[in-house]
Amino acid sequence: MQEMYDLTLRIKRYNPEEKRSWMQEYRLQAGRILRFTDVFRKINNEIDPTLAWNSSCEHAQCGTCSVLVNGKPLLACELLVENAVAQFGTTTFTIKPIPIAPLVRDLIVDLEKAYARVESVKPYIIAPAENRNQGKEYQITPQVLDEYVEATRCINCFCCATACISSHKNFLGPNAILASVVRLMDPREQAREERLKLLYSERGVYRCHTSKACSFVCPKEIDVAHFIALAKEGKFKR
Amino acid sequence: MKEKLRIGSTQYCDVLVIGAGGAGLRCAAEVFQRKPGARVLAVTKVAHPQKSHTTTAQGGLAAVDPKDPIDKPIYHMFDTWKGSDCMADQNIVRKIVDAAWEEIIWLENRGMHLSRDIDGKLSKRTFGGHTVNFGEASAFRAVYEADRTGKGIIDTLWGEALRGGIVFLNQSMATELLFSKGRCVGAVIFRQKEGEFVAVLAKATVLGMGGSGQVFRVTTNCRQNTGDYLVLALEAGLPVMDPEAVQFHPTGIVGPGILASETLRSVGGILRNKDLEAFMVRYAPKMKDLAPRDLVSRAIETEIREGRGIMNPDHKIEHVWIDVRHLPDHVHDVQIPEVASFFRKFVNIDPKKELCPIRPSNHYHMGGIPTDEFGRVEKGPGEVIPGLFAVGECAAASFHGFNRLGTNSLLELITMGKFAGEKAVELIGEKSEEMPAGAGERTFAQFSGFLGAAGKASLGEIRQTMQAVMTEKVGVFRVAKGLQEAISKLRELQEKTGEITISGKSLTMNQELIQRWELKNLLAVSMVIAQGALNRRDSRGGHFREDYPERHEEFNDHTLTYMTEFGKVNFGKRPVDMSLFEAKGANYEKFGMIERKY
Repeated sequence: MQEMYDLTLRIKRYNPEEKRSWMQEYRLQAGRILRFTDVFRKINNEIDPTLAWNSSCEHAQCGTCSVLVNGKPLLACELLVENAVAQFGTTTFTIKPIPIAPLVRDLIVDLEKAYARVESVKPYIIAPAENRNQGKEYQITPQVLDEYVEATRCINCFCCATACISSHKNFLGPNAILASVVRLMDPREQAREERLKLLYSERGVYRCHTSKACSFVCPKEIDVAHFIALAKEGKFKR
Repeated sequence: MKEKLRIGSTQYCDVLVIGAGGAGLRCAAEVFQRKPGARVLAVTKVAHPQKSHTTTAQGGLAAVDPKDPIDKPIYHMFDTWKGSDCMADQNIVRKIVDAAWEEIIWLENRGMHLSRDIDGKLSKRTFGGHTVNFGEASAFRAVYEADRTGKGIIDTLWGEALRGGIVFLNQSMATELLFSKGRCVGAVIFRQKEGEFVAVLAKATVLGMGGSGQVFRVTTNCRQNTGDYLVLALEAGLPVMDPEAVQFHPTGIVGPGILASETLRSVGGILRNKDLEAFMVRYAPKMKDLAPRDLVSRAIETEIREGRGIMNPDHKIEHVWIDVRHLPDHVHDVQIPEVASFFRKFVNIDPKKELCPIRPSNHYHMGGIPTDEFGRVEKGPGEVIPGLFAVGECAAASFHGFNRLGTNSLLELITMGKFAGEKAVELIGEKSEEMPAGAGERTFAQFSGFLGAAGKASLGEIRQTMQAVMTEKVGVFRVAKGLQEAISKLRELQEKTGEITISGKSLTMNQELIQRWELKNLLAVSMVIAQGALNRRDSRGGHFREDYPERHEEFNDHTLTYMTEFGKVNFGKRPVDMSLFEAKGANYEKFGMIERKY
């Protein structure tokens, strides 16, 4: 087992004041189980404090640190150096921001703009079933919950939306569809008509080309394509 | 660049929520429920509210189900009181415990995907320190959403806030609270993406800004938890209560410090040392691996100090093991899939087959901005600042005293958020305040100082040195000499910050500038933690003094610390509310100054 790796990171920079982009190369040594967020921090501390990148929880639960590494969208916080070397077969990595929203600086994109698509599908219960406010929980059997619980694990990291071969302009994107499907499968939601209208709208599920890239790249290993397929085959129309 | 250091625009709202995590969003949802159409503006330091640190909470949410034939609220109150090492305020304990189940139903009815039993009812599990019949047996008291309960809460509350019509200022931070005639009227907000300062004037300002974990080298906390809120308060002349009450989670994953939830132990995980001995039986004969966090943390540190730890070659940090190899596959796959995956992902270890390396990791700040039972910020005991609230981890009401029980933090977030929302609504009718004179001056003086400073000091190096000092000398074990050394080192580091050059002078998404501002906050927070720890010459809960290993009566009050100038700390006291004890009702004797043994 190799202890240290000599890495070359080619990182896409963007300066908003000058509206200028360029590739910048950083060479550094990193231990085998450092994560890419640790590597970015090392660059900030030791080489270049101006490199801007985003993260929050750094344990793959918030989806803030999504970047493209050698073309693949992933969470920088869970990519270990030794795994990256094994996965990509190289110690040279090209790192770019995910192209799902306008750039702010370097690797940071305006996630709030990307989120607008998720918010447009109303990620909450629009019209709750009747026993609300009677001081009781709804009874949902594990069998019913199991049908859609995987989809509730989505963290909106937008890796799927990045990998998706459909246009971002016309398609809500896999994660927004997932948020919509969760509430269609949730027995507590009564506003099914409104939800179906959204799901099958101009920007809805028929924009999907079934490449299944979403399932392939999902860091949470959610089979996103499965839920989109359910929508396409009309599973939710009663 | 100096011309941009000004208030670019002013926004008006009814309720300004600073920090859009579990507590802040629950407060916002309560405001909308009571006053539909209210203008609520929420500021978050992260890229989007769904990225808040609450989302990483794994284990569960403690609440006594009134239908439970065995469990009772009084047991939950007792566990919280005992766990707090007799430093929780009993009026708060009672209020939160009594409101708990209603909050579970509130969340469930609004779409939280809580885990279910075979009959479709909410599943419950047991957690360290939670018992029935005053310590007799483990209580099944925590409802949960698999091992992502915090995410379930955030998703639900974000949805409710959206439905209510909330306006978010994302990737933004509060740099200064605004006051007019003794009343809080809003805050100066810096919008990082736009590089713009905004004044927000509000009838009620609610701080829900999370924790301060970045003060330490190994922490479970997110990157943004730099204790900014404590400095907002200190700079406004307000106190921080019990800063020395810091919790170290016993089972952080070696290296990044990522939390391996207590769930691992509650489903049967066993802690082992170098010799593979299950050592917890020597420290807590009854509760063993399920003993409260501070006891387990000290047990692990003791094992390591006495040479029974294991050195990790990559991170050069000693650790012990947690063993989950004996658990059946369905436990791994169904009950702990996300926690187990952390070991696979972050240290390349398969917990089904291998021992997992863990060590104590900074986890939670019990101390915070002092409030009353409605989350109203207090300047001194009983002295409320009108218009200003603090809820969640950034506040201290205090529900946790000197040690927080697992699953009690999520409960505190949502209940205190709700209580603050109830009170904030009452202020909406009041007339709007004018912008106070001099708004932003302190902020601009600081920022122009950051941008204008020149020298060879390294921001990253100062921050790392501070984290190392705090971890080594103000961590799980503390002693007077070490604390004094830490305090003088912090002064030295503070001096050095004057020599940090910020290479990029832009205000727009200038990460280096943000980190410089955070460093100011981290050093100030470190200083009040270290001073508070030195001042408290006794041991209780998360605060352990090797030179004063017992609890002492003269320290039975909360510590209040004030610091308007770096390093000059003034102390005050706030008595602990003992209303459950004083009421002399059934079992009142359980709420006296009881021993904390498990």
